[in-house]
Amino acid sequence: MIFLYIGLPLIVAALLPLIGRASKKLLPDVLGNGVFLFLLVYGLTGAKSLIGGGPVVQSLDWFGETVALKVAVDGFSLFMLAVIALVSLCVGLYSISYMEHYGSKANYYALLLMMVAGMNGLVLVTDLFQIYLFLEVAAIASYALVAFGLEHDELEAAFKYLMLSVVASAAILVSIAILFGMTGSLGFSGVAEGLRALNAPGVVAICAALFLLGFGLKAALIPFHAWLPDAHPSAPAPISAILSGLLIKVSGVYAMTRIFFHVFGLTPALSQVLMWMGAISIVLAAFLAVGQKDMKRMLAYSSISQVGYVVLGIGIGTPLGIAGGLFHLLNHAVAKGLLFLNSGSIQQATGTRNLDEMGGLAKRMPITAATNLIGSLSISGVPPLGGFWSKLLIIIALVQSHEMLLAVIAVLASVLTLWYYLIIQRQAFFGRLNERWAAVKEAPFWMSAASVILALICLGLGIVFSAVITSWIQPAADGLAKGMGM
Amino acid sequence: MTPTTLLWTILIPAIAAALLALVPKGVKFVREIIALIAGGVSLYLGFALFAVKNLEWRLPWLGGGVDFELRLFHFSSFILLGLAGFLVLIAVYSTVKMKDHPHVRSYYALVFLSAALANGAVLSDNFVPLVFFWEGLLVTLYGLIAIGRKGANKTALKAFVISGFCDFCLILGIGILWAKTGTLTISKISVHPQGILAAAFILTMIGAIGKAGAMPFHTWIPDAAIDAPVTFMAFMPAAFEKLLGIYLLGRLTLDVFKIEKGSGLSILMMTIGALTIVLAVMMALIQKDFKRLLSYHAVSQVGYMILGIGTGVPIGIAGGLFHMINHAMYKCGLFLSAGSVEHRTGTTELKKLGGLAREMPLTAVGFSVCALAISGVWPLNGFVSKEMIFHGAIESGYTIFAIAAWVGAIFTFASFLKAGHSVFFGKKNEERPTVKENSLALFVPILILALLCITFGVFNKMPLTQFIQPILVGHVEAGESIDFTGHALSLFNPIAGISIACLLLALGLHAYGWKRGGKKAYLASEPIHKAPVLKTLYDWAEKRFFDLYEQGVIFIQALSLVLFKGIDRPIDFVFEKAVTSVGSAMSGVLRKAHTGRYATYLAWCLGGLLVIAAVLSVLTKS
Repeated sequence: MIFLYIGLPLIVAALLPLIGRASKKLLPDVLGNGVFLFLLVYGLTGAKSLIGGGPVVQSLDWFGETVALKVAVDGFSLFMLAVIALVSLCVGLYSISYMEHYGSKANYYALLLMMVAGMNGLVLVTDLFQIYLFLEVAAIASYALVAFGLEHDELEAAFKYLMLSVVASAAILVSIAILFGMTGSLGFSGVAEGLRALNAPGVVAICAALFLLGFGLKAALIPFHAWLPDAHPSAPAPISAILSGLLIKVSGVYAMTRIFFHVFGLTPALSQVLMWMGAISIVLAAFLAVGQKDMKRMLAYSSISQVGYVVLGIGIGTPLGIAGGLFHLLNHAVAKGLLFLNSGSIQQATGTRNLDEMGGLAKRMPITAATNLIGSLSISGVPPLGGFWSKLLIIIALVQSHEMLLAVIAVLASVLTLWYYLIIQRQAFFGRLNERWAAVKEAPFWMSAASVILALICLGLGIVFSAVITSWIQPAADGLAKGMGM
Repeated sequence: MTPTTLLWTILIPAIAAALLALVPKGVKFVREIIALIAGGVSLYLGFALFAVKNLEWRLPWLGGGVDFELRLFHFSSFILLGLAGFLVLIAVYSTVKMKDHPHVRSYYALVFLSAALANGAVLSDNFVPLVFFWEGLLVTLYGLIAIGRKGANKTALKAFVISGFCDFCLILGIGILWAKTGTLTISKISVHPQGILAAAFILTMIGAIGKAGAMPFHTWIPDAAIDAPVTFMAFMPAAFEKLLGIYLLGRLTLDVFKIEKGSGLSILMMTIGALTIVLAVMMALIQKDFKRLLSYHAVSQVGYMILGIGTGVPIGIAGGLFHMINHAMYKCGLFLSAGSVEHRTGTTELKKLGGLAREMPLTAVGFSVCALAISGVWPLNGFVSKEMIFHGAIESGYTIFAIAAWVGAIFTFASFLKAGHSVFFGKKNEERPTVKENSLALFVPILILALLCITFGVFNKMPLTQFIQPILVGHVEAGESIDFTGHALSLFNPIAGISIACLLLALGLHAYGWKRGGKKAYLASEPIHKAPVLKTLYDWAEKRFFDLYEQGVIFIQALSLVLFKGIDRPIDFVFEKAVTSVGSAMSGVLRKAHTGRYATYLAWCLGGLLVIAAVLSVLTKS
């Protein structure tokens, strides 16, 4: 039933605009969140036993004929499915209150579901072209979602986003075409075998460079990052949360990792390039974040920096490094989702995103302030929250592979991270209450509830981190290291 | 009397303290009645338990030797009785003196809490509860000073830090003892102070004499005399702390450690005692304030007790312990009479007073008896105990300490001649308003104490046989006599002769100074004050050159300034200026690069592609 991950959101997405005519609010809320909840519960319970005996490959039959759509689940993809379902459920809950006055809810949920279907598909497929296919599904839904408010800024941001994304898609397509031309195959294992037979490392290097451009753009690694600080802040807050929390990781990090590990094999050269791209992204984006006045822009730069940690961890290539990178992916998805949701709560309450205009909001919005503090500390790597353990794993892995310089960079950059998150805390929440916000109220129920759930998960990931690592991260890292056998 | 009665001696004052803390400020009489009842019950228990003598009560607690053990035996029951007696007198006196004090509520609560803690400390037979009660007294000490006049909290802090240091030494010493003997039960420990145990003795001794206020741990007492309520001075430094500190010193030297006559530790104690006597009395002599003068004597007299106990000779030890109770009586009486003078005239500065004997005759009588007692005039109690200490010092073989004690006696008498002459006798100061004798509650406690001074002197056989000599039972060599009543008031021996000569010398000194000072009594000490070398030393002392606490504060302030300028600021500069400015500069440069021109961004992407392709190719090929 793995196809449900792709089929169910797509079907509901197709139906929602019709249903939306009958019920403007209730049914879209229930259906959208129902799908996310189902996917999360299924991912956490049923699917786990499915892959007990190793990776599972299923193909779609249409009245007995095999359609050329194969999906496969291993530890890595199941982990990603669970993260996607978790964050999208919280975002969906948040949207119940937040999207109240933001246009058609039915259309919004339809787009959101389409994006989730695209991400799920991307995680499940086993062939290069299908990766491209679902990448575009998710991307197109995300362009529309960035522009959802239809204001001037939003349309401009969506257009800019589109322009650079197209470059990424083009680079990916070119690389796929070269590989198809050389090996005559598109499936991961087919291409991998073909490349081994050909033994053409130079061409592989060019293809890898093209993929790095394409997926690097999607993941917003420096120097391919410049679109993100324009696109993410302009979207509605829940969409910012899902873009920063999920999309850049699924369409960027996941796809890149899958291809590099299972098609090319992680050569030392690739490993070095990945680690250094990660490290440069961490440091430069952190410095950029420090200088921002716009809260959401600061968070957007922070996403670039934190994705750098994920890529740095995975790029090490050792089991511990991969585990650290994936755990950081999870922590960042949860915490950054939370922080963007908080920024939405503040923007809705005060109408501003400028940190200089805020001040003392903790007195008026205690839940938002408390959850924001937890999220900030988690990303900054303060024990005992989740972000601390994942950064620690990455740093230990770096030390074990004798990458001392990178280890030092990773440690120092986390100080920078703490710096700009403390700027947010001080400017927005602590200090004297700005008189303009004397009448501000705490965010509505569903918005607060979503923030609290994510904050509790941040805490939980830190407290039971070893259980999370053994039951979720380790199978995922094993899946990556082993290959799929398909 | 069951063993649990011991608990009540602690609980009754504690409960009274809690009640007193609850009585609102405006309510009349209730506070005083509670205080008198609680004091009375404590005194009754004191007598009753003194009759019982031997009780033990223990509650297993943390294990590992840390148990709640209370033990009543002769020595502790004697101290318990003394504490209860002083508590009652102070309670009576306070009913009038402290009636309108702004912090009357905290004052009563703290006094009774101190009493509870002191009783607990005296009864503890385990070092851990002992330290608990001992440290509790530190808190009440701070509180009682801090409720004094404005700015008293600084003195309170000083007292707290000095006493805290002494208590720290005590704990350290107890730790060594515990490690060496494996037990914390005081009555089970009996060791020879050798090697590390000598250090343990010195540390615990510092705890004991620090509480009693010996040099150099005395410097807060003269400050507190000015800042704290005068009843506090009569209560804590004059009575309670002396009893507790000397009690602990007695336990340490008699039971816990075996201090032998002529040993190094014995000489150390005698040296501390002799220095305390002489230096403190020299300071007392030149004081211009009645209370401050008394406070230096409260220090000086501790020297006699330490010297007596330090001799290691039975008569010296007995003299030291007898001096403890005698001193508590007359010094308490002296502070209370100073309080009475202050209560009526509003000042205690010597030059503003004079001729009060005619207006406050009863206070004057009480003061005179106590003053003669402290000076060691025959046949008062001070004479008896000082004689015993002189004998002990001579017997110990170190005459020098006896000479120091006699020097102390000269200046003690001289300074009390000066004080009495300036306050109660001599001519009336015209600027001073004419006053009346105080009410009953103020002069009765003074007269009781004066009467006790006479009784303990003239009928010294009673206190010596009842209170003091039994303490020494089992601590002297077999066959050695512990009956010291024989020559207590004897005048016809060389030692008594020297003592009397000392007193005459003091009289001469006073007369000379009085004449030189234009017949102004408060200037009687000026010839000594202005003597060549002494003048410089006095100036230094007035500037607090010898006050270890003040010097320590200066040193620590200097150290912290050096650390702040030398280490903290540079580190701060690195983080505050260097890191942030580099960070902001980086951030500025990077932000300038992000122009929002997508053509530029696209160029970055393509440039990145080229670089990555080149790097990957080179790395793959090599």
